[in-house]
Amino acid sequence: MTFEVEVNGRTRTVAVEPVPQMDGRFRIAIDGHEHTVDAREVDASTLSLILLDGGGACHEVELVESALAGELLVRTRDGLLPVVVNGGRRRRSAALGGAGKPGEQRVVAPMPGKIVRVLVAPGDEVKARQGVVVMEAMKMECELPSPKAGHVKEIAVEVGMSVEAGRLLVVVE
Amino acid sequence: MKILVANRGEIAVRVMRACRDMGLETVAVYSDCDRSAPHVRYADQAVALGPNPPGESYLRIDKIIDAAHRTGATAVHPGYGFLAENPAFTRACKDARLTFIGPSAEVMELLGGKTAARQVAIEAGVRVVPGTDGPVPDNLSDADLMAVASTVGYPLMVKAVAGGGGKGMRIAAGSEDLVNAVRTARSEARTAFGDAAIYFERRLLRPRHIEIQVLGDEHGTVLPFVERECSIQRRHQKVIEETPSVAVTPALREAIASAAAAVTRRAGYTNAGTVEFLVDEGGDFYFLEVNTRLQVEHPVTELVTGLDLVQWQIRIARGERLTLDPGRLLTPRGHAIECRVYAEDPEHSFMPAPGLIRHLRSPSGPGIRDDSGVAAGFEVPIFYDSLISKVIAWGEDRPQAISRMARALSEYTVGGLKTTIPFFQWILHDPDFLAGRMDTTLLDRVLAEREGQPFQEVSSESEEAAVIGAALHTYLRGRATSSSQGRDLGAAPSAWRRAGRLDALRS
Repeated sequence: MTFEVEVNGRTRTVAVEPVPQMDGRFRIAIDGHEHTVDAREVDASTLSLILLDGGGACHEVELVESALAGELLVRTRDGLLPVVVNGGRRRRSAALGGAGKPGEQRVVAPMPGKIVRVLVAPGDEVKARQGVVVMEAMKMECELPSPKAGHVKEIAVEVGMSVEAGRLLVVVE
Repeated sequence: MKILVANRGEIAVRVMRACRDMGLETVAVYSDCDRSAPHVRYADQAVALGPNPPGESYLRIDKIIDAAHRTGATAVHPGYGFLAENPAFTRACKDARLTFIGPSAEVMELLGGKTAARQVAIEAGVRVVPGTDGPVPDNLSDADLMAVASTVGYPLMVKAVAGGGGKGMRIAAGSEDLVNAVRTARSEARTAFGDAAIYFERRLLRPRHIEIQVLGDEHGTVLPFVERECSIQRRHQKVIEETPSVAVTPALREAIASAAAAVTRRAGYTNAGTVEFLVDEGGDFYFLEVNTRLQVEHPVTELVTGLDLVQWQIRIARGERLTLDPGRLLTPRGHAIECRVYAEDPEHSFMPAPGLIRHLRSPSGPGIRDDSGVAAGFEVPIFYDSLISKVIAWGEDRPQAISRMARALSEYTVGGLKTTIPFFQWILHDPDFLAGRMDTTLLDRVLAEREGQPFQEVSSESEEAAVIGAALHTYLRGRATSSSQGRDLGAAPSAWRRAGRLDALRS
């Protein structure tokens, strides 16, 4: 079975074939380069991998579906990598906050929290990186900047509101 | 003695562990979202306080006193934060005939107010950082604020009188920053402490933050401990602490410890507290403030002295005498270092990152202590501090403690939310940190220089493992679905799901 796997901006073609009569053993070709891998599911979201042709190199990867459709967050020894299998990315732009119209940029909540201050009003001129909304979560206040210079088109929240991550806050055009 | 722990998270668990070590029963209190938190599961008894905002739960003195009465608790440990430094709470405990495990309300009032504490230090003959004599009145015009500030001099710190934990604190580099700094500091102070009062303090250039733990009993003995160095701070919030400090000679240790003991003795201090100092490049030290509670970073002191500070807090509150050898407290054995693991995203300017912990693997092994307040399946709430755990490493010397810490962090996986672990893995390799060349401005400076460069560097081997893992995961899920004859795997218990996948592995 063949998969298109996107990681760090590169798409790799990965073929997976189980080795007959060998529990948990697979032949995996990445862009034609073949590995023999011994895989064990050590818990519901974690795979232990031994690369048999790489001197028995051991890897443990934890795989969690991200908030973005089709994306997996893969935790490796060195940190977290977002990985998309079979083009889930195409749906990505529609995921958080929705896509903006051309010339518009949306400021969305990067975390769940409370709106403590709105620093601009509709029609205000803003500079790039000028603070537009102050959110609070975990006793910290964070000032969220405008992504570009322009005018405030819309303010979608009020002071005191609790918002989820990804909620539209302000539209700048 | 049955102890109600008026707190949550790692510190509530840590206090309950000391209680259990001593054979004492424990009572937890909790807000709605903390029902399944580890501190509740650990306790012998638990009482609900109500809604999630701290003002409706962990800060409700009446509900906590009521919980103590209903459960037959005879003592209250406040942890740190929340009501720990609130004299009204201490008084309410006393009035309700509950033993408060901490200093008296009078001492808290004297030392907890940052401006009054400075007076005590001056009277004890200890040098203080130059600043305003008292709080800055809250009705000053912008021009008057600037006039007061110019008597202190720039750069200056705007600090909450009731402050602590880096909250309610802002730098004004010059007069142009002042009004904004005062406004945000007041706003944060009101939210965090319920008190918007602020004062000004000159900002020393590149000082180290050195602090002294003290214990005082109810019979007049106050004993200081070996220093902790807490100079690795991000926006005035400590992120790494260690003991001893590479910059403190035995003579300087003796001098700072004596100063800390003088200030606390003068105040009639009892129980655990910490006296904070700034130390400049020439080795001169200045009194900063007293924290009238157990500190987040107390474990490093425990590891180099072999003492349990929480057990001593309880023993002192029971009226026992401090029978410790003063020399032992000032003679560290080996080196200890602590990293505070926060639910924050270091790749996005340390934005809070609350959420569900799907998977948790804690570090262990030689020299490692993990003081955690979370568990797999627990949702880290947005309402409270973002600290989820503290990893503490002990070594025979500083290099060994640091390499053990790096090893422990490589074992530590928190699945489902972002934490500051990648950031620690980077700073532990910073040449200035490794050489002990640090001051309270180091971290903010090097972070600014990095300009948002990622902390993690994923090797090509790990990237390949991720690609293999993602493909296999998708392949196995596809196999599991087809071999389970249409069973809804998304909703199935994980044991079923695993069995399905194992079938796929066998085929």
